[in-house]
Amino acid sequence: MAARTTAFNKGTLDCPVLSVKNLVGQIYLMRMHCPAIAQQVLPGQFINIKVNNEFIPFLRKPFSVCRREAQKGWIEVVWKIVGKGTQIMANDHAGESIHVLGPLGKGYRIDSGLRHALLVAGGLGVAPLPFLCEELLKHRKPVEIFLGAKSRCELSFVEEFQEMGVQVSVATEDGSVGKKGLVTELLTERLAQHPALKNGTFFGCGPAGLLNRMTQISEELKMECQIAIETMMGCGFGICVGCPVRVRNPQAGENPYKLTCVDGPVFDAREVLLDG
Amino acid sequence: MAELSVQIGSLRLKNPVLVASGTFGYGKESAELVNLNALGGIITKSISLQPRAGNPPPRIVELPAGMLNSIGLQNVGVEAFVKEKLPFLNSLDTAVIVNIAGSSAEEFRAVVQRLENEEGIDAYELNFSCPNVKEGGLEFSQDARVTARVTALVRAATKRPLIVKLTPNVTKISEVAKAAKESNADAVSLINTLVGLAVDIHSRRARINTITGGYSGPAIKPVALAKVYEVAQNVDIPIIGIGGIMNGEDALEFIITGACAVQVGSANFIDPAAGEKIVGEIAQYCEKHRISSIKELVGSLRGEV
Repeated sequence: MAARTTAFNKGTLDCPVLSVKNLVGQIYLMRMHCPAIAQQVLPGQFINIKVNNEFIPFLRKPFSVCRREAQKGWIEVVWKIVGKGTQIMANDHAGESIHVLGPLGKGYRIDSGLRHALLVAGGLGVAPLPFLCEELLKHRKPVEIFLGAKSRCELSFVEEFQEMGVQVSVATEDGSVGKKGLVTELLTERLAQHPALKNGTFFGCGPAGLLNRMTQISEELKMECQIAIETMMGCGFGICVGCPVRVRNPQAGENPYKLTCVDGPVFDAREVLLDG
Repeated sequence: MAELSVQIGSLRLKNPVLVASGTFGYGKESAELVNLNALGGIITKSISLQPRAGNPPPRIVELPAGMLNSIGLQNVGVEAFVKEKLPFLNSLDTAVIVNIAGSSAEEFRAVVQRLENEEGIDAYELNFSCPNVKEGGLEFSQDARVTARVTALVRAATKRPLIVKLTPNVTKISEVAKAAKESNADAVSLINTLVGLAVDIHSRRARINTITGGYSGPAIKPVALAKVYEVAQNVDIPIIGIGGIMNGEDALEFIITGACAVQVGSANFIDPAAGEKIVGEIAQYCEKHRISSIKELVGSLRGEV
């Protein structure tokens, strides 16, 4: 047998990297050529990436599809450097290839009766929202964006949303851009000023604290709320059973856990219970 | 083309590559991703008498060259398995081996009894070795006498091939394998995961809900090979090798050491087609080395170094 062959070269997709861009701080954007995924993927779905042929890092990692161009066959993912794998991806160059499995999971639902879409993200929770925003605009739905971050260097995609012609409100915890405070405070202010928006639907992604607050607001105002959650995952397609999320009110005999990878990552906020 | 089929008691596998319990769901999850019929067999997620909810998160943590898990045997229970999962498995052209878990000897027997009249089950694998769910703090296969007793109890309930899955978390695994043989098990499979621990030094908490979990992946392969070697040298029973198999070369190491078949585990998480590729790589190796049957390789490890 030739030099040690690892098991993950075929079967899954080997996608050429088209570009890697540093957006701000430690946040990066990769565009890759991946026509099969670009054509099929829905907003909120994810791909599972293996960054190299080595055993470190061992597992694939899930990334929301951030934007796609079905005709040209590319997709984009965004990430922050947090460890070895994300560092390796930041060092990738156009012309190299990356192992991708997807599209995976259940995405956001765009109901025909949807009035207003209020997209809310904290930090890198912004990842699935540009794609979602594009799709909502294609469906001629009014969209507003609320972005929160710790500081300026954790904030991305503000200009891209503005270029799509949607209103963007920003809050940072240190006040370095936008309103000083939490993004959910912006949201409640906006809803107080424009009660008509209470007919709308929340689309959230970000840390558990943000999603729990959004859930609470949506329940108080009886609004629809879809949230994309992030958990550690082993496989991304349901075989390892390693990514449980608690079901809010399990029926008798029902398993008290759903799996983030196949039942989510987008859930109706009333379905699940997040810690944090 | 070398003959890759393997006979273990009355169990015939078209090739020696199985997918390990708990790393392949109930088969259907991967149906859109890979050719399931290329596998020698599918070993199901552990089935218990009643459904099990599984452990709270976090259930897995990634480690260098491996991972730690504590899933807690989440499964649909034997009734739902028969109704919802078995029909799909039966539609495949590959061996179906049902892995059984229980927290008592009686539960093992009850699950087997429920499955006995169902068609399309080629063998049972008894999970005596899950480190994350245990009775009295001990895995069944940590005790040779318990292994002998429970194996005998299940043996009396079925004529189907019986595979006993062994834990490496013992002093002498060959004594447990011997106990399984003496209770007329058809084969032993080894190793299940090694008990492991990972600590978050910032929060000073264990990185998994049950504190310790099961360590798997390529990091454990040398340990697994040594255990297979020990059993092969000391007990006359067919061995199915498990532990960190990522490619054909890894699988061949187990076969040469004494395993007549292998199970691919964690590799499925990274590439659901790992098993299929390993079958191809074994065939290539046989062709290159002019080996006409995989049986020639089993236990062919040379004594001198």
